[in-house]
Amino acid sequence: MIWESWSAFWAMGGRGFFVWGSYGALLIAILAELIVLRGARKKALESVDEFPR
Amino acid sequence: MARTEQQSNDRFQGRWFWRYASPAAFYPVAGRIEKIGWFLAITLAIIGLYIGFFRAPTDAQQGEVYRVIYIHVPAAWMAMIIYLAMAFWSATGLVLGTRLSFMMSHALAPTGAIMAVIALWTGALWGRPTWGTYWVWDARLTSTLILFFLYVGYMALAASFDDKKKGDRASALIALVGAVNVPIIYFSVNWWNTLHQGSSVRPGSSSMASIMLTAMLIMTFAFWAYCVAAAMHRLRTQIIERESGAQWVKELVK
Amino acid sequence: MSLRLAASAVFRREFQLFARRKSDWANPLMFFVIVCSLFPFAVGSETERLRGIGVGVIFVGALLAALLTLPRLFDEDARDGSLDLLLNSNEPLAMLVLARVAALSIGIGAPLILATPLFSLLYALPSDVALVLALAVALAVPTLLLVGAIAAALLVTARGGAILTAVLVLPLTIPTLIFGAGAASKVLYGESPFAELSLQAAYLLFALALSPLAASAALKISTD
Repeated sequence: MIWESWSAFWAMGGRGFFVWGSYGALLIAILAELIVLRGARKKALESVDEFPR
Repeated sequence: MARTEQQSNDRFQGRWFWRYASPAAFYPVAGRIEKIGWFLAITLAIIGLYIGFFRAPTDAQQGEVYRVIYIHVPAAWMAMIIYLAMAFWSATGLVLGTRLSFMMSHALAPTGAIMAVIALWTGALWGRPTWGTYWVWDARLTSTLILFFLYVGYMALAASFDDKKKGDRASALIALVGAVNVPIIYFSVNWWNTLHQGSSVRPGSSSMASIMLTAMLIMTFAFWAYCVAAAMHRLRTQIIERESGAQWVKELVK
Repeated sequence: MSLRLAASAVFRREFQLFARRKSDWANPLMFFVIVCSLFPFAVGSETERLRGIGVGVIFVGALLAALLTLPRLFDEDARDGSLDLLLNSNEPLAMLVLARVAALSIGIGAPLILATPLFSLLYALPSDVALVLALAVALAVPTLLLVGAIAAALLVTARGGAILTAVLVLPLTIPTLIFGAGAASKVLYGESPFAELSLQAAYLLFALALSPLAASAALKISTD
């Protein structure tokens, strides 16, 4: 284990803002994309329903 | 006319790739690829982040902040690779006239743009402690920014046509024009960069320990798998949208 | 009708239009003049500062002025039907597109090129810089119009043409911007601009070879 404690891990040697800011942005971007993907799928499926069978 | 069509059908029969150019045939395949993609993305990300954060040592020069590299470099690479893939499928679509190829390009573009944004954002956050400022006009960051513009142009053009077929071909052409220009733009930006600021300090250019490199490569494959999965999901949504009149799609919804 | 006749007919027609409607070339020039005049108000009029930004302002101003003329390339013809004549001609469409871009380059390029040394004086640039800058603008305007012809051809029938044209075209003008403005800056610092100018010319030749083909393909797609 290279970290002495969890707080040392989160601090990232005083650069926590930059490291976790990057990873946080990645997480937000991925979550946003997944939400948009699911929404688009739902809309597409609903639009199929509108056609008479 | 009917005879030549028959002949061409005969000619292409038995070629599996031609069969899968049909959206209906590719739809289930895309579903399977998507599932594998999600699985690989999550597994590889866990392994890569574990190695990157708990096995790889602190960088002698940069301290802990270098750990941004595990997402910065993969995102930048994916932004580049996805653009090439987009241009490839656009060319395929223009040459063979396969609808699925155009859909593939459309499905890739938003993920590529997101990768470019992530590369820029992480580059800025990495640059602050390394260069002392969020943005420097570094050749690679600048090129990624231009790549992002190319993605935006492609998507805006595709969205500006009411006629989907026309939009497909028009955006495919602009993707190709962009792909032809990308190497020239990279070269010119490099030229400009060395002219204006000499050799800049580049994070990550110092020799990396092999364990760091391992983690970065694993993360690259995780990003790759994620991009494939996201693109496949978007592709399937597009197939449903565009084929919504077809019987097999209606049965899918039932 | 031979190809040469057809191309020269297209070329001549453009110039007759230029002679008849002065606004076609005068408006881009006015735009260029006004854009270049705005910057001192924004950044201040100290000689050193003006000299620092002059090359960039003049170069980008000329590019934007040329960009604004792109709708003129095909939009009007699409409305009055002469585009269909062009498309149905037996001659290779790429050559007719090239003739038209060449005419536009000269028609709107020449006033911009002539105005460039004048503005170089207003930005306190030495005369040798002004000459190289005019040369760089002369190489950049046809490049932009060639690349822009592709986007203009694609957007003949699409919505939101003007802004989208800028979004599509401007990133592709970065090489000519870098080399052109770089050449003038080199002279400003007393170095030879030869390398930059030849790279800029190479990019123009590259665009000259490929973009008429791409633009004619684009016209066929958008008017399909």
